[in-house]
Amino acid sequence: MGPWGFVALAYGIVWGVILLYLISLKRRYNSAQAELDVLSSVEATDRDVKK
Amino acid sequence: MTLLKETYLLLWKDLLLELRRRESLLTMFFFGTLLLFVFHFSFDLAPDKIVEMAPALLWLAFLFTGTLGLAQLFNAERENHCLDALLLSPLDRGALFLAKTGFNLILMLLVEIVVIPLFWILFNLHSWNLLPQIFLVSLLGTVGFCGLGTMMAAVTLRARARELLLPLVLFPLMIPVILATIRCMENILRMGELGEALPWLRLLLGFDVIFLTLGVLLFDHVIES
Amino acid sequence: MKKGAQPIKKRRGILGALALIAIAVGLYWGLAIAPPDAYQGQVQRIMYLHLPSILTAYLSYFLVFIGSGMYLWKREKRDDILAHSAAELGVLFTALTIIEGSIWGRPTWGVWWTWDARLTLTAILLLIYIGYLMLRSLIEDENRAASAAAVLGIIGFLDIPLIHMSVYWWRTLHQPPSILQPNKAPWENVHPSMLIALTISFVGFLLLYFYLLSLRYRFGEMRGEIKAQRLARGG
Repeated sequence: MGPWGFVALAYGIVWGVILLYLISLKRRYNSAQAELDVLSSVEATDRDVKK
Repeated sequence: MTLLKETYLLLWKDLLLELRRRESLLTMFFFGTLLLFVFHFSFDLAPDKIVEMAPALLWLAFLFTGTLGLAQLFNAERENHCLDALLLSPLDRGALFLAKTGFNLILMLLVEIVVIPLFWILFNLHSWNLLPQIFLVSLLGTVGFCGLGTMMAAVTLRARARELLLPLVLFPLMIPVILATIRCMENILRMGELGEALPWLRLLLGFDVIFLTLGVLLFDHVIES
Repeated sequence: MKKGAQPIKKRRGILGALALIAIAVGLYWGLAIAPPDAYQGQVQRIMYLHLPSILTAYLSYFLVFIGSGMYLWKREKRDDILAHSAAELGVLFTALTIIEGSIWGRPTWGVWWTWDARLTLTAILLLIYIGYLMLRSLIEDENRAASAAAVLGIIGFLDIPLIHMSVYWWRTLHQPPSILQPNKAPWENVHPSMLIALTISFVGFLLLYFYLLSLRYRFGEMRGEIKAQRLARGG
């Protein structure tokens, strides 16, 4: 593998991994956000029902 | 001074318990000896090679034996909610740390006093005159191991798979001790004295002081119920 | 969505955009504008990743230390979330550092791995903080996990200088002098353009780090809120 090959390998892996982490983080984030929204809306409905 | 008094009390309790049942000491002793045998079969060593490898093999044996001791360290407290009782008492948590460290230290030293000469015999080493120096280095290394080890035993106490987690967490942190002890012993065996390995001894001493102090300060936070 | 959330999200978005720009410029400068190294050739360009990575990792571990200390002192959940998030990112960047170092090492020293001081040290760091993450995941009670992890976070960080010293002594006092001299700095004459590439790259990594940290922190907060809400309802 020529020198540029190693450079490409390094840069490719690094940014690939960072991208993957970012995607996984965003997914976790969004699912948590969704769950939180559900919980808060249920809470709001509870409050309305109680009134 | 109360710290020392309380430490002494707690330590004495553990020693009495151990004296009666002797389970930890015997298991550790036999395990250490067993490891020596396994090493002898695993490494086909020429006499000159043994001198090179002796410190490393010795310390590996102690590391694993010591981990065994650490795993059992809080066993007495786990029964009958003894730990809760201890925590409810006005005893300084730092004293508990020092007592546990001291207890494991004593057990390990007793094992080492037997295993080191045994190693010399089994592996046909002749440098008996160097044993005092070897013991000294071993002592300092063991102090570091017990201090940090007791902390980590407490940290992993409530974790699942704690028998596996303890070495996983402990060993990387132990690397300065492992390196320092083995380098010192190597020099002693090769040169007959510490000589240029003196900086390593100082590092070892520094490690011991730092982590014993940290242990006394932080044990409170880790041992809560 | 609660009251302060929108401006935070906006600021985070700006941070992310800035990070992207800095990274893009850094990439271009590092790969196209900066000249190749006199001794290492093109492969030296990997250093524009490697040095920022390891520095970011150290920053992360410092934050774990601070978060752990603050948590033990004030017992506020947010410090624990910070420590946990920083540990996760620290592991990420340390792993990347090792990969970059290994790839750089292959054409430079001829091997994918060598037990030189730098790589060894980085590997040890990785082990310590993977241990931290495993500890957290294996303790069920949240508060106990937080305390235990905090103690580990403090001890681990304070051990780093000792590990550093011992590994460097080990590697320099016993290694016979070699032509390759892997412990020397990666370059001799630093062309100003290379310095610029490095700086921009570092800025990009920093911005990216704080962007990721902000995301991860908020995620940690949300997880806590979810638990609290579930608990309030009784399951």
